[in-house]
Amino acid sequence: MLRFVIRRLVSTVPMVLVVVSLTWGLIRLAPGSFYTGEKRLPPAIEANLRVKYGLDKPWYVQYGKMIVNTARLDFGTSLKYEGQSVNAILWRAFPVSAMVGLLAYALSLLVGITSGLYAAVRHNSKWDYTSMTLSMLGISVPTFVLGPILVLIFSLTLFWLPPARWDGFATRSAVLPVLTLSVIYMAYIARLTRSGMLEVLRSDYIRTARAKGLSETAVVLKHAFRGGIIPVVSLTGPALAGLITGTVVIERIYVLPGLGTYFINANLNRDEPLILGIVAFISITILVCNLLVDVAYAYIDPRIRY
Amino acid sequence: MLSRANFGAVKSTIILLLAALAIQGCAPTVADSGYFGKTDPPAGQTLRYITGAEPQSIDPQIGTGISEARIYMALFEGLVIYDPKTMQPFPGIADKWEINGNFTQFTFHLRNGARFSNGDPITAEDFVWSLRRGLDPKLAAEYSYIAYPILYAEGYNSGGSFVRSIATGQFDLEPATKTRRFVAPGAKPEPGKEFVPIRAEDLGAVALDPSTVRYTLTQPSPYFLGMMAHQFFMVVHRKTIEKYGNADWVLPKNIVTSGPFHLTEWVPYDRVVAAKDPMYWDAARVRLEEIRFYPAEDTTTMMNLYKAGAVDALENHCVPLPWIDFIRKLKDYMDAPEEGNYYLQINTTRPPMNDVRVRKAFSLSLDREALAKFRRVAKPLDVFIPNGIYPGYPTVKGDKFDPKRAKQLLAEAGYKDAAGNFDPSKFPIDKVEYTYNTTDTNRQVAELLQAQWKQNLGLTVPLKNQETRTFFTSRNKLEYQGISRSGWFGDYMDPYTFLSLFQTPTGNNGTGWWEKSYVDKLDDANRTKDPKERFRKLAAAEQQLLDSGAVIPIWVTSVDWVKKPYVKGMFPNPGSLYAWKFVYIEHDPSKWNDPDPVPKP
Repeated sequence: MLRFVIRRLVSTVPMVLVVVSLTWGLIRLAPGSFYTGEKRLPPAIEANLRVKYGLDKPWYVQYGKMIVNTARLDFGTSLKYEGQSVNAILWRAFPVSAMVGLLAYALSLLVGITSGLYAAVRHNSKWDYTSMTLSMLGISVPTFVLGPILVLIFSLTLFWLPPARWDGFATRSAVLPVLTLSVIYMAYIARLTRSGMLEVLRSDYIRTARAKGLSETAVVLKHAFRGGIIPVVSLTGPALAGLITGTVVIERIYVLPGLGTYFINANLNRDEPLILGIVAFISITILVCNLLVDVAYAYIDPRIRY
Repeated sequence: MLSRANFGAVKSTIILLLAALAIQGCAPTVADSGYFGKTDPPAGQTLRYITGAEPQSIDPQIGTGISEARIYMALFEGLVIYDPKTMQPFPGIADKWEINGNFTQFTFHLRNGARFSNGDPITAEDFVWSLRRGLDPKLAAEYSYIAYPILYAEGYNSGGSFVRSIATGQFDLEPATKTRRFVAPGAKPEPGKEFVPIRAEDLGAVALDPSTVRYTLTQPSPYFLGMMAHQFFMVVHRKTIEKYGNADWVLPKNIVTSGPFHLTEWVPYDRVVAAKDPMYWDAARVRLEEIRFYPAEDTTTMMNLYKAGAVDALENHCVPLPWIDFIRKLKDYMDAPEEGNYYLQINTTRPPMNDVRVRKAFSLSLDREALAKFRRVAKPLDVFIPNGIYPGYPTVKGDKFDPKRAKQLLAEAGYKDAAGNFDPSKFPIDKVEYTYNTTDTNRQVAELLQAQWKQNLGLTVPLKNQETRTFFTSRNKLEYQGISRSGWFGDYMDPYTFLSLFQTPTGNNGTGWWEKSYVDKLDDANRTKDPKERFRKLAAAEQQLLDSGAVIPIWVTSVDWVKKPYVKGMFPNPGSLYAWKFVYIEHDPSKWNDPDPVPKP
């Protein structure tokens, strides 16, 4: 197991380098520069800027410098936001995204698994139909529609919650972003839990457990649950990575100073160091989350061995 | 039973949602008060303002956008500031100034008692140093070109050199003036000559004494005074910048400011907080205790925050188009013409658009009234200079909607049938397209333009949209075919900020059209002492530009923003830049409808 984990961790290094190299190349292909705007700069000022940020050097020098910086996990300073180091930006923006993401993750697991489990146990009941209809709705309504609807109700009509902006995670300002973000995951998890559980509940070893005379609670929670939850685990690994590294739509609707906001603006601004920093950060997070999922498999399902 | 309980919860949630929607449906608040959402003023004198995009920097010589310009107007000050209402020059750190006869020398007298936020006096030397720093090629300030009217500023900023004779040690002089040094255009000196790099000390800015600073310009520039209110010329604190460097001096723990407010907090992508500065020379008149600047770009979100009473005023262009008919009826709405235009530019270097008759035909076949009506917050513009912004500037003759004349011109240009009438099938429409950068407004305008050309000329102009930076890159290189979208927002309060776009064939010209006689007209106007006469001459140049058909003006934009009734002293001015020291929160609702007091210097 330990060897597996170490092997996987080592393999992330070349993968991240490949990802940043591809990104670097794509940025080069995009026309325009961080100083391109409606008002065109005189060539002398463009030249001053290129010298200042080392863009006057040959491409292989710039590429080499970028790779060395990435290997040292130091991405330099932003081009658009004068003097701000990319690492400082990451460490400031990540906690916001992570906090919203983790809360949404916890909420969607709690609600999704509970309702999915219950729907499976009470198969074809009123509860089953209601929760599955609601989850279909949750999957179908995109966040950019759900967000404004929630704002309209809770912020602009009832005036209970602020419509946007971030005051910290233990404040009322966190409620709507977390809710908006979690609904779709809640719905997916509920459906996955239900179908996974239904499959397992029909299997032979559950019949055996029931035949042994175990209580229904023990059968469901102890025997069936571990097998039925596997599809959810597969989904939630990458989902966790996506949730904590910022979701552009939510952060834009609610004006959250998270990674998603920075990422979208960095791309629009052609802010190369910031784009590379965020891409590297997100890819590392995804790789680590996937690893965590693989480890979790082994614990949940005794049939899986590494 | 869990299922029943949960179902009950779901049911009550649904009922709650429906109830909420029902309340929304008959919400009495908005229509009755005449205001949008809550009107409870914040406690004390705190203004919460959404200023737009995340500020690029807190350094006034670095940031270029209007969003940060508004923050700089709180934190820093220059020799003059913008008049809160008209944006004409208004005394700042200078209380008097003199201008020489031909507008090449501007002498400013600093007022007594002007201080930085750490108590250091602000002297003429500080202004000279701030200019040298802004123009330093190593700082690479994007706005440094605005200072290019100052003698040797362009040469210094672009790493240029003077030419000196090795034998005599004499500098070569400009052939035109015979008094100024010649700035080398080439890369290599002629034999017997050497290059001497232009130094910061050579710039045309001198401190005559601690309270007098004089700027010498390369050419007559009557607009220079108004330009001095620009953020690039705001005074910055030398010792702080030298101690902490260009990146870190702006951090709240290091920064020293020169304006009515100082920086207390700066959380990127969240807030910039400025508090009243007791060291400011006019602190007695500053009424706000604190301004909280919030960045935000999504206009719907801004309006939501505004409605919920979380902010007190919003940036210009904050009202989403579908809301405008509703919002403009409310007392929150601020409407005034803006120092900005929306126009089409034509690549005059390629056929068929190299023919002025064809260009004119495309202009004459546009119904600008209909276009502006669609945009709702714009007024139709058939001339290039936004009308009603510069008092005393005459209106020249633009193209009125005349599709018949348009067809006639196209026929004259050779696109005609046997009977001599215009024949659309003869026109090489495959050589013309309309290029624009993708935004909702631009797309809708493009579709309207296409429909009008189709209807009035029978020509279907293909539309091509591009991502913003891609668009600017190809447009600046004249890579577009036919017509492309453009717009200009003035850098300073003078028609010259618009007309100078076409002073050179490169730069922001973007059309390929350039005439020496046009430049001569501008130069002549700028040498003219009488402001009325000068405007008349500038207008003649504008007429020439319009006659060339290189640009097709569409509309002049409106400031289009909202503020709560308790925010006073914030005027809808042409640049949406506010003198924060005159803004205050009025807690007494009976005074909300009183006219805002107009500040005196």
